[in-house]
Amino acid sequence: MARLEIRDLHASVEGREILNGVNLIVNQGEIHALMGPNGSGKSTLANTLLGHPKYKVTGGDILVDGESIVGLTPDKRAKKGLFLAFQYPVSVPGVTMFSFLRAAYNAVHTDEKNQAPTLFEFREEMNEKMKLLGVDESFMHRYLNEGFSGGEKKRAEILQLALLKPKFAVLDETDSGLDIDALRVVAEGVSKIAGSDLGVLVITHYQRILKYIKPTFVHVLYEGRITASGGEELSLKLEEKGYGWLKEQAGVVS
Amino acid sequence: MAQQTMGSFTEAAVEETSKSHGEPEWLREFRLESFRQFAKLPLEISPLYTKYTGLSSFDIGQFPLDHTPESIDLRTHFEGYLTGRETNVILQGNTRTIHIDLDESVAKGGLEVLGINEAISKNPGLMKEIFANKLVKSEREKYAAFNNAFFNTGTFIHVPRGLEVASPIRKIQLVRNPTTSIIDQTIIYAEEQSRVNFLEELYTRESARPYLLSSVTEVRAGPASTVDASTLQFLDERAVYLSNKEVDAPKDSKVNITSIFLGSSITRSRLNFDLNGRGANVDGFEVFFCNGKQRFDLESNLNHNSPDTTAAIHARGVLKDESQSIFKGMIKINHVAKNSNSYLAHHAMLLDKRARSDGIPGLDIDTNEVKATHSASVAQVDEEQVFYLEARGLPEDEAKKMIIVGFFEPVISRVPVEMAREGAKFIIEGKWRGERRRLVDRETLMAITGEAPVDVRQSSDVFERHYKYRA
Repeated sequence: MARLEIRDLHASVEGREILNGVNLIVNQGEIHALMGPNGSGKSTLANTLLGHPKYKVTGGDILVDGESIVGLTPDKRAKKGLFLAFQYPVSVPGVTMFSFLRAAYNAVHTDEKNQAPTLFEFREEMNEKMKLLGVDESFMHRYLNEGFSGGEKKRAEILQLALLKPKFAVLDETDSGLDIDALRVVAEGVSKIAGSDLGVLVITHYQRILKYIKPTFVHVLYEGRITASGGEELSLKLEEKGYGWLKEQAGVVS
Repeated sequence: MAQQTMGSFTEAAVEETSKSHGEPEWLREFRLESFRQFAKLPLEISPLYTKYTGLSSFDIGQFPLDHTPESIDLRTHFEGYLTGRETNVILQGNTRTIHIDLDESVAKGGLEVLGINEAISKNPGLMKEIFANKLVKSEREKYAAFNNAFFNTGTFIHVPRGLEVASPIRKIQLVRNPTTSIIDQTIIYAEEQSRVNFLEELYTRESARPYLLSSVTEVRAGPASTVDASTLQFLDERAVYLSNKEVDAPKDSKVNITSIFLGSSITRSRLNFDLNGRGANVDGFEVFFCNGKQRFDLESNLNHNSPDTTAAIHARGVLKDESQSIFKGMIKINHVAKNSNSYLAHHAMLLDKRARSDGIPGLDIDTNEVKATHSASVAQVDEEQVFYLEARGLPEDEAKKMIIVGFFEPVISRVPVEMAREGAKFIIEGKWRGERRRLVDRETLMAITGEAPVDVRQSSDVFERHYKYRA
């Protein structure tokens, strides 16, 4: 079973220290929720995991199956089985969904013998996943994320997740900016994909997405550290009491 | 800056050009008057732009002008460029119109496509009228005047009233070691309610010396007509390429001009849209990719002279190595052009610190109740886009290539011929990789189109059925 291990991770953005020693282990098949107030470092963690050039690891390590990935470029991390569903998926005008998905699918699924999947294999898989997630055929002819509604963008992210079949998926505030219907569609999509082959890290500000994606573990990120971990009851507590009590707790600890 | 000399381009040479084509007196006079303008005009007329003239300056005197008819082996020339299934095709080798083949149904419908000299001798009345009211005016631009004075080849397309030409008219210009400058006048005369889509492709087969290709294109659209005219400039690095395009868009007409400039050492383009009738609607799409030491100098203007007119110019370019570009553009809305809507945008992407691009859009508006927007940006490849694609498994290099090809895609997708679209993408990818790619051999074309072009030496179809090639 594959394992993603974040070990005493320190990271900075433009010289500002944001993560101050994050420890977390996600095994394939588990769903972890990472909650926290604005500015606690949630998105920094997501971007650092995938190797965004703006985010610098200043200490600690990220390991996939015991191997450090900190020195790897983002594409290599993707090939190791890491996936990030973006909070704000950027649009790439002029690149159709189809050609983008084909290129990404080939990049990730090219095997050790350098054998890329055939166009037929790709089409089969794509049609199957589009059906599974209820994505319309017309999606494929549109430019990547260009002019997509909030819901469409997030659904496109989940479609990519389904096609690329990573070992670990980080969902960075996938619920943000979605109305309740769109949220349900997206969250149900994730539930359909989740299973024993996928470890999920759901990063969220609100508890509502966790009604659909049931977490095995819930963690609270506060000022760049995980300050509390528990089961689903922790997310309910946060929903009820907000994030204020964390400050007191953090004060006590330090 | 290069010394400006006239070299072969003298008044005597104008006389010689006119005589060698056996032209009527009115055309000789037109050429001579154009020559006077050419000799007199500075490189740049507008005081707004004079500081940028260095970008496209070159010595025109270095280029030859020769009236000796060139003898060309037709059959080998276009090998590789044709699949044999083309209709509505014009083949031009250097300054010679080699072959014109029209779809039977449109030919019956009255579509006329002629070499410019043939058009002048066949329809002197109509041509005299057109030249008396020339759209590309000699007094407005030095190299427009140059072309008007010295043109030695070209195409006349006449689409009669109401005729819709379904498949595109494709003009393939091939350059091979020219002994003279190629100075081309193309006139598209589309009458009321007609429809036509013209595509011009410029290729270099071989060149031993620097050469000049000057091109004037006039689009004389009729009321409620729809005209598309596209240029794909794939010339090699020995070319100096000059383009002057002028569009007359009358009442309810729709005109689209698409330009894809990839080749040449210097490209100088001047494009003017004149919206002269209520409800006229025009779009200009211009893209370029320059690398090495290429210099591209583009100016495109929207002139609103009537109410309820709509216009847009979308210009975008990618620059690599030490290349440089400038894009100038002006929206002019005159006092009667109420309720007009105009948009002018130039976006450039720099791939190297040494590359340079300037965008200078302007507005000149003499009435209220209009909407005019311009925008310009010069940026590097967007880091967030690169990261997004990388996070999906694409290496940085592939990610950037995808973004750049995508940057051009909306314009390339407007080109009506698949082979030409694929050719453009092939060249763009080559430029991105720093490879010097050319579309000249069968292998290349097979690689990009996935099919073998017809070997025209053995084909009885492409040339031999045409009366011009039986001799």
